[in-house]
Amino acid sequence: MPAAGLKTIIALSFVLAVGFLLVILSCALFHAYYPLLVVATYVIAPIPNWICSHCANPDDFVESSGAAVLDLGRFCTGFLVVMGIALPVILAHAQIIQVPAMIMSVVGGLLIYGTIISFTMFFQEEQEF
Amino acid sequence: MSEDRLWKFKKPEWLNSVWARNAGIYAAGGLFSLAFYVLLDSAVWSKSPLNGSDVHVTFVDWLPFIFSSLGMLIINSVEKQRLSADSFSYSGSGVAWKARVVLFLGFAALAGGMAGGVTVFVLKFVVPGVQFPAMNMGVENVVANALVGLSSVVLWVTQNMEDEYAYNLAL
Repeated sequence: MPAAGLKTIIALSFVLAVGFLLVILSCALFHAYYPLLVVATYVIAPIPNWICSHCANPDDFVESSGAAVLDLGRFCTGFLVVMGIALPVILAHAQIIQVPAMIMSVVGGLLIYGTIISFTMFFQEEQEF
Repeated sequence: MSEDRLWKFKKPEWLNSVWARNAGIYAAGGLFSLAFYVLLDSAVWSKSPLNGSDVHVTFVDWLPFIFSSLGMLIINSVEKQRLSADSFSYSGSGVAWKARVVLFLGFAALAGGMAGGVTVFVLKFVVPGVQFPAMNMGVENVVANALVGLSSVVLWVTQNMEDEYAYNLAL
């Protein structure tokens, strides 16, 4: 079990580094540093879910107000995830950044967000045992 | 429970799962985000050097989107179970009536936002005869308001699904 966990952590950190590399390259190669916003977006994307899951009791089905808070968190997370893809596309459409920079920052952002998501999933799975 | 079903086709089982509910809410958030960024795209493009025309996105273009979002917020803040509360004895203060009035205001704001988007498109872009690269700003306005409507429909359906799920769990 520790070896598998260690391999997972190494692979995830490698993917995270590749994602950051792609985003920073997309900024530095074209001397337009707007794609760095994608990193900030994906880092704050899981935060609404995390806060709202602490605010609500998911077992409370009678009042269903707890589920509403959870839904609000999910709504904000969905908003932020699509924002991470939409922001480079907007910048490229207005020619503030180049199209290759857009592709690199979108792919890098998805890698970063995938790392965050899979890391929390693995972490929760370890907690259950 | 299946006797009072109206339609021939019943909902598939997987629609009542927690997974489908969460996916619906994430999708609603994503659709709303898409609407906002489609409109933001038209605003950014309007100020970029690519826009050779005199037409620019101003506050008027944002107004329909603000109304649609307000309507979506109102509609999805109302507790859906209060709509059918008049048949029960504990709703003495007319909760269902209040819920209907508030829901009507919300739907009016949503539909008004959509109509406003079409109005801006027609009055600002079609009637003066704006050429096509600049015409995109008007098209994006209509698309953004339609996406807000779609997002609130998805959220509404998902929240109604939740009630069925809670009922199934209670049995």
